[in-house]
Amino acid sequence: MADVLQSVDVVTIGVGLTGTMAALELGKLGLKIVGIESGAPRETVPDFQSPAIHDELRFSIRKAMMQDNVKQTVTFRNSSDQTALPIRRWQSFLPGTGLGGSFVHWNGQTYRYQVADFIYKTHLAERYGANFVEQCGPELIVQDWGVTYDELEPHYDRFEYLLGTSGQAGNINGQIVPGGNPFEAPRTRGYPTPPMKEPYFGAIFRKGADSLGYHPYPQPSSNLSQPYTNPEGLELGQCVFCGFCERYACEHFAKASPQTTMLPVLLKMPNYELRTNCQVLKINLDSTGTQATGVTYADATGHEYEQPANLVLVTAFPLNNVRMLLVSGIGKPYNPTTGEGVVGRSYSYQTTGGATVFLDESININPYMASGANGTVIDDFGGDNFDHAQLGFIGGQYVGAIMTSGRPIENHPTPSGTPAWGLEWKQAVARHYNHTILVGQYGTSTSSRLNYLDLDPTYKDAWGMPLLRMTFDFPENDIRMSQYIADKVVQIGQAMGGTSIIRGGTTRPYTTTVYQTTHNAGGAIMGADPNTSVVNRYLQSWDVHNVFSLGGSAIPQNAAYNLTDTVGALTYWALDAIQNQYLKSPGPLVPK
Amino acid sequence: MTLGRLPSVALAAILVAAPGLIYAAMAQTQSDTPAPDRGRGAIIAAQGTASGAPACALCHAFDGASDGSGAFPRIAGQPASYLATQLGYFASGVRNSAIMSPIGKALSAEDVAAVTAYFAELDVPFLPLAQPDETLVKAGQELAKVGNAARGIQACDNCHGPEGAGEPPVIPYLAGQYASYIAFELQMWQSGYRTSSPEEMAPLAAKLTAEDVAAVAAYYQQVRGSDAIVAPQ
Repeated sequence: MADVLQSVDVVTIGVGLTGTMAALELGKLGLKIVGIESGAPRETVPDFQSPAIHDELRFSIRKAMMQDNVKQTVTFRNSSDQTALPIRRWQSFLPGTGLGGSFVHWNGQTYRYQVADFIYKTHLAERYGANFVEQCGPELIVQDWGVTYDELEPHYDRFEYLLGTSGQAGNINGQIVPGGNPFEAPRTRGYPTPPMKEPYFGAIFRKGADSLGYHPYPQPSSNLSQPYTNPEGLELGQCVFCGFCERYACEHFAKASPQTTMLPVLLKMPNYELRTNCQVLKINLDSTGTQATGVTYADATGHEYEQPANLVLVTAFPLNNVRMLLVSGIGKPYNPTTGEGVVGRSYSYQTTGGATVFLDESININPYMASGANGTVIDDFGGDNFDHAQLGFIGGQYVGAIMTSGRPIENHPTPSGTPAWGLEWKQAVARHYNHTILVGQYGTSTSSRLNYLDLDPTYKDAWGMPLLRMTFDFPENDIRMSQYIADKVVQIGQAMGGTSIIRGGTTRPYTTTVYQTTHNAGGAIMGADPNTSVVNRYLQSWDVHNVFSLGGSAIPQNAAYNLTDTVGALTYWALDAIQNQYLKSPGPLVPK
Repeated sequence: MTLGRLPSVALAAILVAAPGLIYAAMAQTQSDTPAPDRGRGAIIAAQGTASGAPACALCHAFDGASDGSGAFPRIAGQPASYLATQLGYFASGVRNSAIMSPIGKALSAEDVAAVTAYFAELDVPFLPLAQPDETLVKAGQELAKVGNAARGIQACDNCHGPEGAGEPPVIPYLAGQYASYIAFELQMWQSGYRTSSPEEMAPLAAKLTAEDVAAVAAYYQQVRGSDAIVAPQ
């Protein structure tokens, strides 16, 4: 039997980006908060130390910062008629574990979504007609978010100033600012720190993109261009371009993470308690099923505890948020046959790919001098920045030279036709390692009736709970979109002086055995209609009013950009509603 | 570069970032420019230049080990690129020194390339010094290898390499450097007098107490590189 603990005001399931933000914000109100984290505690000092933190075999290949697949994973299949099998080694996406969550091993790429992204359904219907999405793919699901960009702008701003993001504004209050992204949604002020210095590969990309009339700009980065003290009083350092961001933690206090931007303040609060190595098993509901009473969790020894709480915040990795709602019976699970139900519906991802541009031997890229978000990009093909009327697809991708590292195990570009091993391969690597630029494509992933998350009927985790089952393949719409842009990228590669180019673009079927992106989105989406969303516009469960599900799981369909900035903005938006509306009068913030 | 330091540099190369390929790439980059004249560098070190730079050996000794007083840094085996950058800083006033600034100005680009290449290649023993204060060394070691969580100070070795072996070509070694010199330079950063590395060393130095400065200085002076290489966990 579980030991019943003393009741607290708030419990967060997971202490990563959203769990830390929530605890810090609500902790300042004096609420008694417990953060339950399934992974281990860790701090910059002494846990992230050079040279051990730069162990490529340990962190990149064996994925030391990710959830232990032996204990917990996801099962996967491409379509409903297949049998899903457990992912026994993270490859396509990398759910982090440990204090700080995936926000420790991220790359720092910090994009806002655009105005149209939040009203995507309305926007597409107005621009292309009511039947356009249906024509692009009858299986596609496109929805408005229930929140607008203007509502989120102050929260984007606040989040970027928390992180100290380095960037060049492109649009301040409607005024286009030279050097920035002219397509970006208007921001009320510039970034807190100037953009990072442009790397050589970025400069070459800029030249090529410029010559074709595109609009290159420095990628916004939360690996900082200069020292910065954030509003919490924490000091971040300057990035040293060591090339160990993604899959790694930063030893220089230069990458924004819970450890560098929030945790030192939070962990000093007497009303906050962190419990690590504790796995939440479920959210407990009262007899009516309309109110949560707390959570049940197991500590590292397997001993179970019941932690009563007035407010339960689901703040885990997006996939784990969805699973927590499913195992707890919160919200109606999605049924792909009838199209009814909402939990697990509208799971989306991010389309990736890109070209490999091989250059003359006289051009030295020095790819190891890198940072996770340093590079030059264009947004000319992002989202709905270009006319889709005659193209037969929706969505887009941003394109850019963002080389995050030159790490030797992972990076050895060779031209098509090179043998995969042996002397010739080695010679090709030596020839091309320092003279090759990867031009990435990153973009929209449209939700589909065929793609969803549910509980696996067969496989269970180490605690006996069913694994999450992912049924996913890229809709043909997204393939057409990505392949259209792949042609444009080849042209850019040629303009960059590429002597040979490997064309990119997303293909089907989606596979979990090649790294693509960790921007798993949706499954517990937000919206204005309880029949098509799991949480309301404040990320509050439609069914259980004292449960809020925060994070990327709320995103109805993934817009082109990496989602961290938007997750931060949504979280501040939801916390503002909790603080100023919910705590004053607990109950549904939007009538069902 | 001392023999004692070699293994830890090699270790850093393997563990930190640089595969053989990177060095190959660097060598490729550098192959376009003529190799600096080390012989000429040795002459500058011993005799100075006609343009008015005195002999380096007057303070740094002909072998770059300096004199053990700690007033002058050990420069033997320090990366040529680092030494050249610092000479440039002395010349431009980024590092303002009554002694070194006129020397930096007097040296031509070829002089700098020659003399820094000369000192960079030297492999010389360490001078015998007084026994260090063990408590101080221990405190310094903690800061150098681990940092300080409460005050948000990262380990010195994060940038200066395992055991302070340096991260050529940009970052100098600290292992075996004279304590007085290390402490003096940290104080220069704290006072705002030294303006090189304004975004890395200046904010770090500002977080150090007088005790910290004395401790890290004492620690690095007695590190010899080869004696304490530990495998990462």
